[in-house]
Amino acid sequence: MALFAELRRRNVLKVALLYAVACWLTIWFVDVVQAEVSVPAWTNFFTYFVLAAGYPVALWFAWTYEITPGGLKKASDVDQTQSIVYKTGQKLNSAVAVLLVLGVLAVFGQRLLPKFEFLVPGTPEGDAPASAHVPADIRSLTLDNGLKIIVWPDHDIPNVVMYNFVRAGGRNEYPGITGLSHFFEHMMFLGTSNLEPGEFDRTMEAAGGRNNAYTSSDVTVYMDWFPVSALETIFEIEADRFQNLETYADAVQSEREVVYSERRSSVDNDNFSKLAEQMKATAFVAHPYQFPVIGWPSDIESWTEDDLRSYYETYYAPNNRTIVIAGDVTPKRIFGLAEKYFAPMPAQEPPPTVDTVEPPQAGERRIVVGASAQTPLLHIAFHASRAKDPQSLPFSLLLDILADGDSSRLHQLLVEQEGTALSVGAWFDEGFDPGLAYFYLTLPPGADPEKVESQLLDALAHVVAEGVSEAELEKARNIVLADYWRALSTINGKASAIGEFEVFHGNYEALFDLPSRLDAVTVADLQAAAAAVFDTDNMTVGVLRAPDEEGAL
Amino acid sequence: MMSLRNGAFACIACLGGALANAQGVTLPEYHYVELDNGAVFILHEKRDVPLIGVQALISGGAVTDPESRAGLSNLFASMLEKGAGERNAASFAETVAGVGGSLSASAGLETISISAEFLARDAELVVELLVDMLRAPALDRDEFRKLRDRQIDLLGAAKDGDLRRLTSIYGNAYLFGDHPYGTPIGGNEASLAAISHRDLLTFYDAFVGADRLIISLAGDFDAAEMINTLTEAFVDWRPATEALPDVEAPAPQVGRRVLLVDKPGATQSYFWIGNVGVSVHYPQRAELNIANTLFGGRFTSMLVDEMRTKAGLTYGVRSSLLRPSQPGSFAIVSYTKTDTTVVAIDLAIELLARLRNDGFDDELITSGKNYILGQFPPRLETAEQLANQFAALQAAGLDESFINDYGAAVAGAAGEDIRAVIAEVYPQVDNLVFVIIGDAEQLRDAVAKYGPVTEMPITDPRFRP
Repeated sequence: MALFAELRRRNVLKVALLYAVACWLTIWFVDVVQAEVSVPAWTNFFTYFVLAAGYPVALWFAWTYEITPGGLKKASDVDQTQSIVYKTGQKLNSAVAVLLVLGVLAVFGQRLLPKFEFLVPGTPEGDAPASAHVPADIRSLTLDNGLKIIVWPDHDIPNVVMYNFVRAGGRNEYPGITGLSHFFEHMMFLGTSNLEPGEFDRTMEAAGGRNNAYTSSDVTVYMDWFPVSALETIFEIEADRFQNLETYADAVQSEREVVYSERRSSVDNDNFSKLAEQMKATAFVAHPYQFPVIGWPSDIESWTEDDLRSYYETYYAPNNRTIVIAGDVTPKRIFGLAEKYFAPMPAQEPPPTVDTVEPPQAGERRIVVGASAQTPLLHIAFHASRAKDPQSLPFSLLLDILADGDSSRLHQLLVEQEGTALSVGAWFDEGFDPGLAYFYLTLPPGADPEKVESQLLDALAHVVAEGVSEAELEKARNIVLADYWRALSTINGKASAIGEFEVFHGNYEALFDLPSRLDAVTVADLQAAAAAVFDTDNMTVGVLRAPDEEGAL
Repeated sequence: MMSLRNGAFACIACLGGALANAQGVTLPEYHYVELDNGAVFILHEKRDVPLIGVQALISGGAVTDPESRAGLSNLFASMLEKGAGERNAASFAETVAGVGGSLSASAGLETISISAEFLARDAELVVELLVDMLRAPALDRDEFRKLRDRQIDLLGAAKDGDLRRLTSIYGNAYLFGDHPYGTPIGGNEASLAAISHRDLLTFYDAFVGADRLIISLAGDFDAAEMINTLTEAFVDWRPATEALPDVEAPAPQVGRRVLLVDKPGATQSYFWIGNVGVSVHYPQRAELNIANTLFGGRFTSMLVDEMRTKAGLTYGVRSSLLRPSQPGSFAIVSYTKTDTTVVAIDLAIELLARLRNDGFDDELITSGKNYILGQFPPRLETAEQLANQFAALQAAGLDESFINDYGAAVAGAAGEDIRAVIAEVYPQVDNLVFVIIGDAEQLRDAVAKYGPVTEMPITDPRFRP
């Protein structure tokens, strides 16, 4: 007790407290700076080391020396009746209080004020948009390894979205590895040399984040939605899986079963997809768009670990990807983290180009698919254009006029007036290579597919011959414009939209040209687009229906 | 470095994290107007993008449908899009699409809703359409017949399609039986066929009126002006003539029963295992949501981790909670290939037992809390989301604290309370209703072990025997 009383008297305990509070502030400060800008990893450890080493020294000093009116003296040399330790103690108390207040203010301030990005020079600022009508706070940066990162700050909610576009999809496959791109999308969640299978998701969800991914014929896209507090964790685990993926044999086998389950529900037990899969395989004879994105069953069973490894190295290299981030961030903070986590990935040889061009179709193709069905399906597809072709915008407007919503020409004709279809819709695969314009109809039980087909083809021929009205074009423009604003009303929509434009049009800034490009489209452009595509020699027709009692289709 | 920071200085990280997370979401300021006839308007100006989100609700919905006319309220809602005021069905659709608007009407269990989103420049048109739909719907006889017959065929088409869309309809119909919560909202092929044009007109008078109306708008408009317009449009509207039915709390299932829906040739089985759960007023919502997130509400939940990631039995499994004004349903919903049906269902039951016995450790609970709090803000990001939220709170008789206090309730939920909620809400494995859709010939014998089996073909026009 005597020792304790003496420790108190000599203010050693107060110094200990003051030191601890000062340490906390220092560590917090280092942490903030580190989150903002890229600093070498050892600076963090160095700080902790110095702080820890200084602790016993400070305590020893407090025990040994005392402040007196005559200056610093050894405590043992001071006459206790003349001692002013209580005054020093009061000063120490005040210092602790001041530091605590500063600390609390700083922690709050960090959340409220702009980040401390100005503190360390050297973090790239990124490139501002070149065009005046692009939101001025967007920045982009291409790392030395070819990875491009685009940042769109939006501070409405304390959340962030990260889109990771990989330029690899069904289009990059060939017989034997069909479905591999999609399978890879699953593999990317199954463990790295640092994280056990499942650990990626557990880490992300524990930090408040959520993720998903999708694969198309053209791209594989990974999406993370998370609170800004999880930002660095997300960078760390995303960089890890894009650099250190491991293909654990057990996980691969179990995941093949999961993909089979996905295939069974989304293709084999779904008449729509069953027909669509056969349609693509028929419409394309040369181009890899003929492959189902989920893969042919025998390929799902048989791709090898070597296939996985070489696919990863080739297609998941930084120079084959683009990252888009939108939300409660500053570009500088993102670029600092990107330099720290993504820059160390080496670039690879660019993937082999897809050179196969689908030859012009020389006559219509027809398929009939038999399946248990109360309602027959009719699908009709035409070869159309690429995303970046100038005729794609007028053509997509034309499809809106024909088949988007209850007011569309085909809905009014086939569903409302003739009653020959229960529903009709259309999509346009706008990808790297010319894709399909695709009409899909559900017919009433017992309907005659030929009848509705001829009604639909007459309607298309009419558009080729007569074009559309100005009012119809205006409607289509408004539909696209409203969709544009809807996309820009969320951080998710923002990231997705600028990413799609960067990847498919080669320039994210083109997104913001959309309103003016819409204005420039004429009814003549739509008619020309219709004439170029709606030719029966360029058409594939598919019917799905139940076999009759003798088993004939 | 991570480990050092996480270990010795964990307290710092906690302080930092808690501040961000404990905030949750606070609903923005809004205008609230209630007319003498009971109509309620809720308006919130939000001008970041030039859009207006609209949610109009009419209290009622599928619970008002007589059993033999299931789908009536939904059919009525769909008819609101088929012409109103001076516009017939075609010109109504043309008007909406012509300005790039989106508008749809449908029934839920306890409300009919009209959801719309328009460009801000079309604010006047939105109100005009809304007023026409509610006060002067065409309810045209020919349009009605066309729509009804098409919806019957579309139900048939849905049975040819991906059955994940129908699993819960069969599940709730079989669990609740005659209780209003068993009503298939879209009706069934037989009940739709029984609905007449007269039923539709009667429904409009009986269940639609100012006293049932909530209109919520959020977005880029002038609230004061909008209030005047809406007030003028609805101040002299009549009330609905028939009282809403008193829905009683459904009785939980005691023991087990099994419904096997036969889809010959299906290579996959779809299953729904459930019992009566809780209502929207359940006081310990934060604790329950944490438990349900960890059980089957996210990718690393117990159900997904065990059934998909570890066992490869399915692409998807979830734990669903339907929470209307009286206790709704809890269910485990999934699917698997035909020959692993029993393995998958056995595992689902085992996991339900594990949930009740073991609950979750503190680390998982913290993870679940972070997940809920981290994913909360994007759910109230857009004008449309806010409009929907304001309307839903009003319809359920809840106030803003339902949203504003939620973040703190999640952050502060105690482990022992979560355990108590699990024991209270999740059923014992001896008390379960099973619905299995698949190839009955291959499943019939194997699923008999779960309880007495009733069988029906998928082509049966109804959703329960």
